Amino acid sequence: MADPPPLIAAYMRKRADLVRFFTLRTGSAATAEDLVQDLYVKISEMTPPPDMRSAEAFLYRVGSNLMLDRSKAQRRQAARDHAWSQAAGGGGPEPVAQEAPADEAVAARQRLERLVAGLERLPPQVAAAFRLHKFDGLSHSEVAARLGVSRSSVEKYIMSALRALIAEYEP
Amino acid sequence: MTGPSARSPIPDAVRERAAAWCVRLGSDEADDADWLAFETWLAENPVHLQAYEAVEHLWSALDALKPVAAAPQAAPQAAGELAATVIPLTPRPRPTRRPPAWMGAVAASLLAIIVIGGTFGGVSYWAGRPKTEAFDTAMGQRRVVTLADGTHITLNGDSHLTATLGRHERRVVMASAEAVFDVAKDPDRPFFIEAGDREIRVVGTEFNVLHQGGEVKVTVRRGVVEVRPKGAPGAQPLARLTKGQALSHRVGAGADAVAAADPDVAMAWTTGRLVFQGERLSDVAATLARYGRRPIVVTPEARDMRVTASLNIGPEDEMLRALTAFLPVQIDRRTDSVRLSLRR
Repeated sequence: MADPPPLIAAYMRKRADLVRFFTLRTGSAATAEDLVQDLYVKISEMTPPPDMRSAEAFLYRVGSNLMLDRSKAQRRQAARDHAWSQAAGGGGPEPVAQEAPADEAVAARQRLERLVAGLERLPPQVAAAFRLHKFDGLSHSEVAARLGVSRSSVEKYIMSALRALIAEYEP
Repeated sequence: MTGPSARSPIPDAVRERAAAWCVRLGSDEADDADWLAFETWLAENPVHLQAYEAVEHLWSALDALKPVAAAPQAAPQAAGELAATVIPLTPRPRPTRRPPAWMGAVAASLLAIIVIGGTFGGVSYWAGRPKTEAFDTAMGQRRVVTLADGTHITLNGDSHLTATLGRHERRVVMASAEAVFDVAKDPDRPFFIEAGDREIRVVGTEFNVLHQGGEVKVTVRRGVVEVRPKGAPGAQPLARLTKGQALSHRVGAGADAVAAADPDVAMAWTTGRLVFQGERLSDVAATLARYGRRPIVVTPEARDMRVTASLNIGPEDEMLRALTAFLPVQIDRRTDSVRLSLRR
């Protein structure tokens, strides 16, 4: 009960905004309500990072991650259901596959291989900035400090990496 | 979520803009205004959402490459140091308890109390005997009243109280009520609130008082209040509460417990919400029961279940249903009560 954190206060202020935003993102007011409720439970048991600049932006980010986690879980579930119905249709006591159907799995792996190749072709500074941010979880400011460049340069590097990877991913 | 397989023509400019949003929102500099601007952009055209989902899908897919693609430069860095600089999006254990930063902001707002006392009520009541006004709300109703001295009282549903503004004192008697008081400062006329066998003395502050079902609870957002036994004006206060503190008392009992409390949580009902942070299910049930006609009985094995939730205030039935959506409990509705037990 003690320690009412600024996150909770921000949540109270932003709740209606968050529901509206996630209704737009998910296409369902009910899903958005659930998500924003989950968000409350999540932030109520977490410590905001010491370098958090905007509690509101943090709420949107945590909420967005929850949304993505959910849709990933749903895709896995759908893949399992699909595999199960395939297996059940086959009639035999075959083990239920945990992965997406084989042709999709192959396509997904090929896309990942193209991304790896795309990453390797990036100019060194661009690749370094992108990797530090995306894979090591450094903030833009931290990447800037690490590479000795400005923050706006970091944004440009990350943007140019993303542009190149989009081209690989969706030719 | 649109995967890369569901392809429809996205103009390059839109794709570029979607990528720029992804970078911007991933920045530690992003703020509330960025997210609101992003929302506006998304709402402009369904293709915007589609383009953003495609970028987001790529961004998630890249997670699969993390083990092979982590920056080699990061290796020498101590793991602990790195962990401290990353903005975690998952909970991590709290290392130390710091005094909450929001308290400073709340203290700063103390000066914002507007003093209108004495000029507002007109001559009429100064001339005659102090007039007593009664304020009542029906179940589910909320109401804000402004007294002649500028004090605002926000009444929760099913609340009954009277207010008397005298020349030397101001007095509210809470028969059975929950209310937030934002008391206009008037050093010459202290403000008293009677709740059961307790009396609360105020100079100018904002706080929540609950007096229902034999329970008295006072939670302070701003300023200082003193709590005494009722009818003992000269007595030493039982407690002096400052911001972020709450006093709990059962009418008739000797003891008063003072603990730290979040006034935002205690006053959430004023914005149509009930907020629980790790409270026992039996306490949650007692709160919910105030919004319905039937008592809520919690079976012994479910009483100590901890509840963290933020509920829209509505009919008791709806709130209970919302609660059972994420707690392993079941509801049995009977004619004279509602029973909550562990789901089997």
